[in-house]
Amino acid sequence: MFKLMVKKGAFLAAGLMILSASNALASDSVIKGNLRIVIGSKSTGGDTYQNSSIVANALAKKLGINVKVDAVGSSAGFKAVDRAGVKGNTIMIFHDQAYLGYLYGKKGYFDIFNKYIIGPSIAINPGNAYLVPKNSPYQTAEDIINACGNGTKVRVAIQPGGVSEIGYTALKNAVSIIYPGKEKNLVAVNTGSQSMKNQLLFDGQADVINGSVQANEQYTRLPEEDQKAMRFVWLTARKNTINQAPKAGMGATSRDQLLKFVDPITNVPLDKTTNFTFDKEFFFLYNKGLDPKIIAEIDNALTEIFASGEIQKTQKKSFFIPDFMPSKEAEVYFKDKMERYKIIINSMQ
Amino acid sequence: MEFLTDLSMMYFLLIPIGVIIGIFFGAIPGMTATMAVAVCLPLTYSLNLNEGLALLLGLYVGGISGGLVPAILLNIPGTPSSITTTFDGYPMTQNNQGAIALKTAITASLFGGILSAVILFLFAPILADVAIKFSYIEKFLIIFLALTVIASLSTNLLAGIFSGVLGVLISLIGVYSIDVGGNGEFRFVPGILEYYLETGFSLLPVLIGLFGLGAILKEAEKGTKEEDTSQKVNLSNQQKFSMKIFKGQFTNLTRSGLIGTFVGMLPGVGGSAASVLSYTQAKNFSKEPKKFGTGAPQGVIASEAANNGLTGGALIPLLSLGIPGDSTTAVLIGAFTLQGIQVGPLFIGENLGTWNTMILGLLLANIVMFITMFYAIKYIAKVVTVPKYILYPIIIMMCVVGSYAINYGNMFDVWTLLIFGIFAYLGGKIGIEMAPFIIGFILGKSAEIYFVKALESFGTFEIFFTKSPIAMFLWVLIIISVGYSIYSALKGKKIKKAIENK
Repeated sequence: MFKLMVKKGAFLAAGLMILSASNALASDSVIKGNLRIVIGSKSTGGDTYQNSSIVANALAKKLGINVKVDAVGSSAGFKAVDRAGVKGNTIMIFHDQAYLGYLYGKKGYFDIFNKYIIGPSIAINPGNAYLVPKNSPYQTAEDIINACGNGTKVRVAIQPGGVSEIGYTALKNAVSIIYPGKEKNLVAVNTGSQSMKNQLLFDGQADVINGSVQANEQYTRLPEEDQKAMRFVWLTARKNTINQAPKAGMGATSRDQLLKFVDPITNVPLDKTTNFTFDKEFFFLYNKGLDPKIIAEIDNALTEIFASGEIQKTQKKSFFIPDFMPSKEAEVYFKDKMERYKIIINSMQ
Repeated sequence: MEFLTDLSMMYFLLIPIGVIIGIFFGAIPGMTATMAVAVCLPLTYSLNLNEGLALLLGLYVGGISGGLVPAILLNIPGTPSSITTTFDGYPMTQNNQGAIALKTAITASLFGGILSAVILFLFAPILADVAIKFSYIEKFLIIFLALTVIASLSTNLLAGIFSGVLGVLISLIGVYSIDVGGNGEFRFVPGILEYYLETGFSLLPVLIGLFGLGAILKEAEKGTKEEDTSQKVNLSNQQKFSMKIFKGQFTNLTRSGLIGTFVGMLPGVGGSAASVLSYTQAKNFSKEPKKFGTGAPQGVIASEAANNGLTGGALIPLLSLGIPGDSTTAVLIGAFTLQGIQVGPLFIGENLGTWNTMILGLLLANIVMFITMFYAIKYIAKVVTVPKYILYPIIIMMCVVGSYAINYGNMFDVWTLLIFGIFAYLGGKIGIEMAPFIIGFILGKSAEIYFVKALESFGTFEIFFTKSPIAMFLWVLIIISVGYSIYSALKGKKIKKAIENK
């Protein structure tokens, strides 16, 4: 019996191996073998994994190869691309934190424009948000800025060194513009995951937290007397970005309701004439020595995928805004974006 | 029961498939329930949510339960949460009671799993509100309470405490990550090793190095020129398992299952703390605490009821707050994400069908786990009859493969396995105790984060004592735990003296 099971198992394994080998042979792709996409987040419940999975699935179908997304985190992700990326079987998807970590001087981050090839951009998460307890005296972002200006200490829970911190830096900058010298009243409470940020709000140890529409929308629907109840005060996305979201918005919060939390209704001044906005964007990163044919193949495959219009439906269903730019265009765009945010980060450090 | 009409045959088929794959992952040292769920997560993309959850819940329950097999038969915890299972499970195997230990552990696992699923079903939203009362301070105190067990697990109190503190220090090696709100700076790492030790030593390679490789090195020192037939385990001579073993253990089972569920529902505390806490409580409340560590079935019961109790517990904050309770549910949340479903405080009310499907899946997975493992034991237990000169090379190979795979192919993890294997071998010779060391290592990182964050938030040490009634109650438990350990150590010394005088 045991021998029979072993025999059957061996046949099955051999069959699977032949099948996967024939799959690889049947594909005309320049990428030989499987494609591993490492992502800069360790979470499989977050936006990076979700976004990357949507694109990986579409790429696998288009190129006829196996594509697997691994949630390894930024440090392990960069190392994997350094180590194995030159062969073209390991590439990375990350978001703006890839260069913001460098601008904030965090260990394990470097100038990605020097070290890697910037690949195509794929989507925007328009949900980067700041929230307060539902019974908070702060109704708007302006209230927070004014409170700091009037000498009240306001504590903001963030994860340092990335997208979470950029909004805090912007708020600090806004206080310094309207109430010069009062920006020290806005204090960062450095913490980690979304659950830790939420917990700080529940404990009364933070007055404002960084969160997202996706992770926190349900909390905004709780009754005010619930310790967990929260309220949005600011979304960093541009109005134009939110306008591209489905009309129904997210959960029970419609797009029109979300628009109340973005520029120009919500004001967080970047300078005397414009408001600060920030779109969290996802893009590919390649090893510097990657074969240009592979870069072109992924660019072409994604151009065709986005041209067919199907992937946009999946992205929008998950509250992402499609944002495809081929490699060359993306590199210029993100370089310019980094330079813009560098100014505000440097002025606040 | 309307939700049953939405369930396909595939749903019922994927549960046993998940459980069986999960058991394999759990049983192979270095592979875990988390890894099983992570590897199979992309498959759920092509399934509907109910079917995806069936597969993942099966993997979760199977993975957590599978860890008991190597813990009992080989003294290697298959998963970190089965570490306390080795304390009595392996001595039972050495006493020719391996099959009994396995069946006891599986039955306790079933009880813990079902209990936690029932609690999840009945009280999830209420318990989620309790869970958020635990701030940095209360979480630190829970971990501190778990750390106090180091004293009661030590053979020599001073050496045990030293080993535990050493474990804590070694766990802090690496970067104080910005992912947990740290400053991103290296600690205890020479410049030359910064590339390798950025995230410190990985838990699994350390665990299997200490327990697997270390033990094999010790055996190698003794030499296995010829298999000693007198010591060879004879399965036909083994005593038969009987449910009588659970006589008088209902309190232990329930307490352990509840501890597992409770610790599981506190995000960021971790599954290992659950089994460590319930093992010590079982020992402290036992009429025969001296038997613990020598092959006491009640030790196995406490450990396994707690780590399966964790499964339902960890799903409480996931489904009631959108916050995963442990590392496996942190991956499991991806199944919802991939389907574009929000998990948060209103999830249960807005997705009653999915909620019922999950509870049913969890119950079925526990039952399937029990049936699969209980009746496979006669084959599984044969592992102990394999001669050591064949078994040990296979274990080493599995340890190496598991270590290499745990972080998606990192050779440094294999070196970690070797370093800690040698450390266990040499450390044992100078009196370093491995159980306290590994408990310190497992809990050290979380203890540091919550301690530092509590100080950053509140700014005073007094707050640790005065923050809330929960904090005060935890201090009472800590004082009792420490006091009891000192009392036991002094009593032990007196008895030893009395015997020597005689």
